Amino acid sequence: MALRELSSLEKCLGLKKPNKYGTQGERKVPVLQNNNGAPLVGLVTIASHLVHEAKKTVLLGNSAEERAVVQQWLEYRIARVDNCPKDELKVILKELNHYLEDKVYIAGNVFTLADILMYYGIHRIVVELAIQEKERYLNVTRWFDHIQHYPGVRHHLPPVVVLRNRVYPSGHH
Amino acid sequence: MALNLTINSSNPPLGALLAAEHVKGSVNLSVEEGKDTKLYVSDQVQFSDVNSITRYLARVAPALGLYGSNMMEQTEVDHWLEFSARYLCGRSDLSLALLEVDKTLALRTFLVGRSVTLADLSVWAALKGNVESQVKSGSYPHLCRWFSFLSSQVPFSSVGSKWANKIT
Repeated sequence: MALRELSSLEKCLGLKKPNKYGTQGERKVPVLQNNNGAPLVGLVTIASHLVHEAKKTVLLGNSAEERAVVQQWLEYRIARVDNCPKDELKVILKELNHYLEDKVYIAGNVFTLADILMYYGIHRIVVELAIQEKERYLNVTRWFDHIQHYPGVRHHLPPVVVLRNRVYPSGHH
Repeated sequence: MALNLTINSSNPPLGALLAAEHVKGSVNLSVEEGKDTKLYVSDQVQFSDVNSITRYLARVAPALGLYGSNMMEQTEVDHWLEFSARYLCGRSDLSLALLEVDKTLALRTFLVGRSVTLADLSVWAALKGNVESQVKSGSYPHLCRWFSFLSSQVPFSSVGSKWANKIT
C-alpha cells in the first residue's frame, strides 16, 4: 500500500526516475536506500525527501505556521488514519469534517503535501461511504473531490463518485 | 487584433477587471481609466455591459476555461452571471440570495466545474463591492470559505486591493 503510494507521489511530483523501496518490520514500513547517506525510513520522511528532490518545497508550506500545520496533518495521517479500527472511522471523519468547514485545503488556501497524503490515506474510507454519509461529512467530501481532480494527484486510486448538489437538504451537520 | 478596455474609474467594474487580468496573458488587451466602462473591439463593435464584456473576454481566450468546459457548464455560468446581475447588484436585502450561493457551495470548491469561471468572478465581484460585512457574519460558512479562498488568490487579491476601495 505505502509503496504504491510513494510511486504515485513520485509521478505527482514529476520525478522521472523511480526509486526502489523495501519494507521493514511487521507493519511493512517503507525504506528508501539512498545513494548518498543512511537509508530513509517511514512514509512521511521519504515523502518529504521526495518533495525536496523535486524542488517543490512550497508543498511543505510557505510560512513557519503553514509548515507546522502540514507536519501536524502528516503525523495525523500516520498515527490516526492508518491502521484505524473500523469503529473509530466515524470519529476521524467527524474531526476532519469540522476542521475543513472553513478551508479549501488542509493548510488553508494553499495545496500541500498534507492534501496528497491525507487523500491517499483516507481514500479507502471514503470509497466505502454511502451517498447519505458522504453528504453528512460534506466538508470532507468536497475537499476529497477537489483533491481527486487536482491535476496529477489521483494515479493508482479509482475515482470516487461525488454528487455536487445536496439530496438530503435538511440537516446532518 | 488589439482589444481596449476603458473602465469607469469612479465606479470600477470589478468583474470586468478580473476577467481582463485572467486573459491578459493570452489576449492582446490594454486597460485604461476613463469616464465610462466600455470594451472596444473594433470601430463597429463595442460592449458597454459588464456581463457582455466578461463573456466576450472569456470567449476570445477559450483555453483558460473561464466559460466552463462543456455545454452544461456554460449554461451554469450563464445562470450565475444572470444571478449576480439580478439578485446581488444593487439589492438591499441579500439574505435569500446569499443563502442560495451558500447552499450551492456546500459540495463545491468553485461555483461551476473544477476551476475558476466567470461565475466565480461575477459573484465575487458583486459581493466584494456590497456585502463583505454581511458575508463575514458566520451564517454562510460555505460562502465565507469560498470568498476568502478566492480573495487570497491572484488576481483577486491584486484587483481587490487596487480597486475595491474606489467602489461607490
